Amino acid sequence: MTRQANKGGLDRRAFLAAGGAALGAGITGFPAVLRAQTESVKIGLIHPVSGFIAFSGNQCREGALMAIADINARGGIQSLGGAQLEAVLGDSQGKPEVGAAEVAKMAEAGIHGIVAGYASSISLATSQEAAKTNTPHVVDVGVSDEITKRGLENTFRFSPGYGKIAEFAVANLDTINKNAGSPAKTAMIIHEESLFGTGTANLLNAQLPQIGIEVVDTIKHANPTRDFTNIVLQIKSNAPDLIIPANYYNEYVLLARTMRQQQVSAKGIYSVLGGAASNYQFVAEFPEAADMIMDCNHWFDPNSEVALQRKKAAEDKGLYYTYEVFLAYNAVAFLADAIERAGSLDKAAVNAALAESTWDDHGMPYGPTKIENGQNQGAQPVNTQVLDGVIEVIYPDQFASAEAVFPMTR
Amino acid sequence: MRPLVVLAVTFALIGLAPFAIASDYWLNLVIMTLYAALLGQAWNILGGYGGQFSFGHAAFFGTGAYAVAVLQVELGLNPWLGLAAGGLLAAGVGAFVGFCTFRYGLRGSYFALVTLAFAEVLRILSNSVWFTGAGVGILIPLERGAASFQFVDKAGFFWVIWGMALAAFATAWWIGHSRFGAQLMAVRDNEDAARALGVDAFRVKMAAITLSGFFSGLAGVFYAQYFLYLDPYIAYGPAISVESLLVPIIGGMGTIFGPLLGAAALQAVAELTKEVVGEAPGISLAVYGTLLVVMVLFMPRGLAGLGARIAGLGPRARRRRAARLEARNA
Repeated sequence: MTRQANKGGLDRRAFLAAGGAALGAGITGFPAVLRAQTESVKIGLIHPVSGFIAFSGNQCREGALMAIADINARGGIQSLGGAQLEAVLGDSQGKPEVGAAEVAKMAEAGIHGIVAGYASSISLATSQEAAKTNTPHVVDVGVSDEITKRGLENTFRFSPGYGKIAEFAVANLDTINKNAGSPAKTAMIIHEESLFGTGTANLLNAQLPQIGIEVVDTIKHANPTRDFTNIVLQIKSNAPDLIIPANYYNEYVLLARTMRQQQVSAKGIYSVLGGAASNYQFVAEFPEAADMIMDCNHWFDPNSEVALQRKKAAEDKGLYYTYEVFLAYNAVAFLADAIERAGSLDKAAVNAALAESTWDDHGMPYGPTKIENGQNQGAQPVNTQVLDGVIEVIYPDQFASAEAVFPMTR
Repeated sequence: MRPLVVLAVTFALIGLAPFAIASDYWLNLVIMTLYAALLGQAWNILGGYGGQFSFGHAAFFGTGAYAVAVLQVELGLNPWLGLAAGGLLAAGVGAFVGFCTFRYGLRGSYFALVTLAFAEVLRILSNSVWFTGAGVGILIPLERGAASFQFVDKAGFFWVIWGMALAAFATAWWIGHSRFGAQLMAVRDNEDAARALGVDAFRVKMAAITLSGFFSGLAGVFYAQYFLYLDPYIAYGPAISVESLLVPIIGGMGTIFGPLLGAAALQAVAELTKEVVGEAPGISLAVYGTLLVVMVLFMPRGLAGLGARIAGLGPRARRRRAARLEARNA
């Protein structure tokens, strides 16, 4: 009661002054994209470049920018008189609502296509928002199968979805295990707590028993987790034949390092979309921890000249050529190819061109694109293994650069 | 009656937004401002008027959000019914948290920590049980139409959040002008003195936390229907709790308009920093944080307090003060 004067005690002038100040600030904050050029083809790039997945978001942004630079260097969109691609950058901050707001802002700016959003939750929100203006939206990394199952005519994914990856991972693990005389009978899953890790754990728990591997324990951890000592002690106590991590980069590195320090012995470490298992940075910085780890992940075709040239270009720029870089690169190139074939910036025409895409200049082990309900049917992961400090492809055979070493011989 | 008139005029002016704003981007900004104002007012009812600082309003927000999502996805319940259920369940969680804390006399930092713990417990639970989708989260099927609370255009969502915010702000006005509100503020200012005067502190705090939980739950329902996806971190994560208390702290705690001013200022600062510092990753957030620190340091009573202080410097205010002084001396 002593604060009565503070309780709604604004008079009209004070209120109008404060409201005016806030409105003024809002108006001066009017998006710069509205002042952008109109003759270029504007591609919105929305990634989590700040927040807890900023490393991956920044890698995505770099890959997408590389694609735009390459396409522009080749003369832009020929069917539009050599129109140059113009990147309009957005930061989702790792939050779906911020990603969706960026889409609305870009749509106002007359964006012609969007590549987003790294995480599945963000991709779900951005594609849904883009659907309201029928803006072509290509998902670069988000793996949730729901992304392309909602019937949105503007939403496409060049890379594989989760169901395909999990099916592939289990089938290949079965092959690798059987080829070695089935030494792996038990497995332990260590996963992060969000959609990606939990989804992986659920699928593997259901499918591993069908190939004769018993899951002896499943451990979930929070993001971030900085001490894996207790989890590794649990692994040692269970002594599984296979250790299956499903975590983001930092946690994966810490888990792998702790396992190495605690001298955990297992017949294999087999990741599904392992955050670091197929990452050049991890292999370069922690070669001992990375040694012999197998992964089922997005990867380029090691026999493709296109892929190797892009890898070299990325490394010349000081980038690690991670899956974020080449998937975002290809997502932009996939969209640019559709604009080229559409010969128009009409959104419906670009969406139709994406739906009919047969693009094959991607350097991925996919074959020409074949889109059904927005999903590229040819997209598939591969199995990699770190052998002597090099990430080698071990499956499928037609893309393999080395033989699998299993059981591992650490 | 003056604050009520200002409130009515303010909301009437905000209500012009769908007619005056053709841009989806700007309308979205208004919607998100009203959403933040609703969250902030929910916290303000308990923290600003009641003096009970909660660090865990995500517990109520997440309950409302998950209620509408789970009832829809698992039981096929219409989301409009889920709206009521979400608000009521969140109010129930508020009452439970209130009973567990006020019953045992927890105040100040102890109360704040316990509310934080409740939100964390609910986050872990939602990460573990099947019906919330556990860590995978829950996706509300896309089914555009007013009947399924998924409007085709933003104006529909605007009217929903406008209505929710108006209800919360009208409640805050009522608190400021009712016997219950007087008792609540008495408890805030000196609980022991209030008890000595016959105020049932437990009862009024329980009513405040239940009301606060209800409006937070409504904000959760709105979020779920607007973005159609939830996971434990989105629903029960600390970001929501921080946003809930930041809005009234910046705008002015214990005032009707504080949450609205705070929400508008936070949105404006966020957009402004994004535009000023451009596309450098994370810099806008650093500038945003610095600005908030400066605002809290130099405006301890929030924007509403600053407004009142500025108003106090005007010639009319000076004349009024002089007249009061003269009357006192006469």
